[in-house]
Amino acid sequence: MEILQYSIRKLFSGIPLILGVTFISFVLMVYFGPDKTYELLGKNPTPEEIAEVRVQLGYDQPFVVRYADYLRELATLDFGNSDSTGERVDALLARTIPVSLALTAPGFVLGNVLGILLALFAAYYRSTWVDKTIMASAVIGMSISFLIVIIGFQIIFASSYGLGWFPVRGWSVNSIGDYFSYVAVPTMATVFVALGYNTRFYRSVLVEEMTRDHVRTAKAFGVPPTKLFYKNILKNSLIPIITRIVFSIPLVIISGSLLIESYFGIPGVGKITYDAIVSGDQPVLKAVVGLTAILFVLAQLLTDIMYRAVDPRITLK
Amino acid sequence: MADNKETPLLSVQNLIIEFATENGVVRATDNISFDIFPNETVGIVGESGCGKTVTGLSILGLIPSPPGRIVGGSIKFMGRELVGLAENEMRKIRGCRISMIFQEPMTALNPVFTVGNQMTDVLMRHHGLTRRQARDSAIEMLAKVGIPAPAKRIDEYPHQLSGGMRQRVMIAMALSCDPKLLIADEPTTALDVTTQAQVLEQISKLQAEFHMAVVLITHDLGVVAETCRRAIVMYCGRIVENTSIEHLFTNPRHPYAKGLLDSIPQIRSRRLEELPIIPGRVPDLLHLPPGCRFAARCPRADELCNEQIPTLSPAGTHADRVACHHPYAAEPAGPAS
Ligand SMILES: Nc1ncnc2c1ncn2[C@@H]1O[C@H](COP(=O)(O)OP(=O)(O)OP(=O)(O)O)[C@@H](O)[C@H]1O
Ligand code: SF4
Ligand SMILES: [Mg+2]
Repeated sequence: MEILQYSIRKLFSGIPLILGVTFISFVLMVYFGPDKTYELLGKNPTPEEIAEVRVQLGYDQPFVVRYADYLRELATLDFGNSDSTGERVDALLARTIPVSLALTAPGFVLGNVLGILLALFAAYYRSTWVDKTIMASAVIGMSISFLIVIIGFQIIFASSYGLGWFPVRGWSVNSIGDYFSYVAVPTMATVFVALGYNTRFYRSVLVEEMTRDHVRTAKAFGVPPTKLFYKNILKNSLIPIITRIVFSIPLVIISGSLLIESYFGIPGVGKITYDAIVSGDQPVLKAVVGLTAILFVLAQLLTDIMYRAVDPRITLK
Repeated sequence: MADNKETPLLSVQNLIIEFATENGVVRATDNISFDIFPNETVGIVGESGCGKTVTGLSILGLIPSPPGRIVGGSIKFMGRELVGLAENEMRKIRGCRISMIFQEPMTALNPVFTVGNQMTDVLMRHHGLTRRQARDSAIEMLAKVGIPAPAKRIDEYPHQLSGGMRQRVMIAMALSCDPKLLIADEPTTALDVTTQAQVLEQISKLQAEFHMAVVLITHDLGVVAETCRRAIVMYCGRIVENTSIEHLFTNPRHPYAKGLLDSIPQIRSRRLEELPIIPGRVPDLLHLPPGCRFAARCPRADELCNEQIPTLSPAGTHADRVACHHPYAAEPAGPAS
């Protein structure tokens, strides 16, 4: 009951964020984005044809009205049809979001799990060669550009010059085997790049917790090191860990990985977002931006509720 | 001073602890030696940074490493060498034979677990109790340290308790496995005066009940006067005097100890949060003088003091020991105490 009340209040307080994000993005779309009018017309259009297309696109309406429409669409989650293909936006999202999820989830999960494990090792063996090796590798991983990793992995694992184990690009998934073969290289590339950042972040969180007084107390009472880590240190470190993970979820769901999807030619949300930006497909952009903002508000709510579960000092107010 | 033949519970010999810092290696304790006998309460006093906490931590093998390490010396507990003892052996001693309580009751307990969870862990580990038995035993201990409604308190989190209550929980936890030695590192510094007195009284009472020795680390000479039988005075990583309470307050022999006492007229009637100020500056551990570390502040310093480090006078077990080239004379025993 307390949680329900809190959630409702929290969701209402997220409204300004949603308004702010959508407003700014909409200004950018309308005043700085590409104009679709001429793309949809044939050669040498008549002024009547131009006017007709503009009405169709809604360009003839004043900004305020268009923004109000946007908000109404957001409230009803009905964004109409894509300006480019005429496909319904919800159908488009329903088709692409699962692809993006399937594409990014393994890398996201592995990147975080391995990051936490490596960080545990580094923190446990702090200042020894184990720690130094892990952290040096992390820095190397972080300093190589994502693009180079993608291309490098494509060559090594997928091309005929390398091992040739996986398809170079594309996404024609009909079986679980197909899925693994298409997701393998993108996952390796994401993990490779994310691991450095994650390990560094989680290590610093764990090391900070390790130097706290209560950890010294636990040691003084004979807690063995493994238990010290999984009980006394990990639970106390969960707040920053939860924050990092939950807040990356909206990005993982909605934008997928723009770079990955375009490089591997995978039809996910990242790809359609990119196309929509380039072509000025406003209905799609409005949906993607609006849903991302909503997901962020939900993520915020989720983290708050999880904080409460982890740390008894936190009350939901 | 009579029980010379008693064997010490804890015997620290020539202990040297160093820390690697950015500016060089710091020697936090330099050749310190002292004994603690069963059932006695010994105070360790000295200015901030003189090595009290480090000494306490070293006994439990808890010197943060890196940057710290024990470079030399020996720590014998019930005849067993603790320096270099394997971690898993050391863990059986921690919280069981030797317990330590810390200065910061606000942060020393884990905020995300209940008092009961933290206490039963210790009991289950060291005494092999089931969770149920451990819980009953923990409730009993909480009652012993004077926590009202212990059966209810046990399910609370540290932040729901006052500072004094938390320190009592720490004491209950420390005593739950019936240790032979309790190291209390400024257990009352963070508490208000009334709570301070209550907590100290509790420690004294339990000390008698549990037949354990207590090492009480403190800044507060008043606390030492009230609770300890003997005091070890530290200065800059070295022990300068190790003497009975009576002698410390009536006939301090080391100029530093005398300086401390001279600057507070009614020591027994007044509580002091900090040690009284003696003119002059404590030397930096990175730039120690070649001779006596107190020389720059000492009214009795001479050539010899500036050249040669005074060593602690050897002594039988409980006799007074002092590290000074020119100590104040020992008054003949008699009206002193
Ligand atoms: N973690 C550490 N890293 C580096 N040096 C340390 C560390 N802990 C202690 N030292 C060194 O050891 C010396 C003694 O520290 P210690 O904590 O034992 O002092 P203390 O007598 O307990 O002081 P206080 O009364 O302030 O608690 C310090 O002056 C410092 O130089
Ligand atoms: S050795 Fe010398 S300088 Fe040091 S305390 Fe004694 S008299 Fe003072
Ligand atoms: Mg200290």
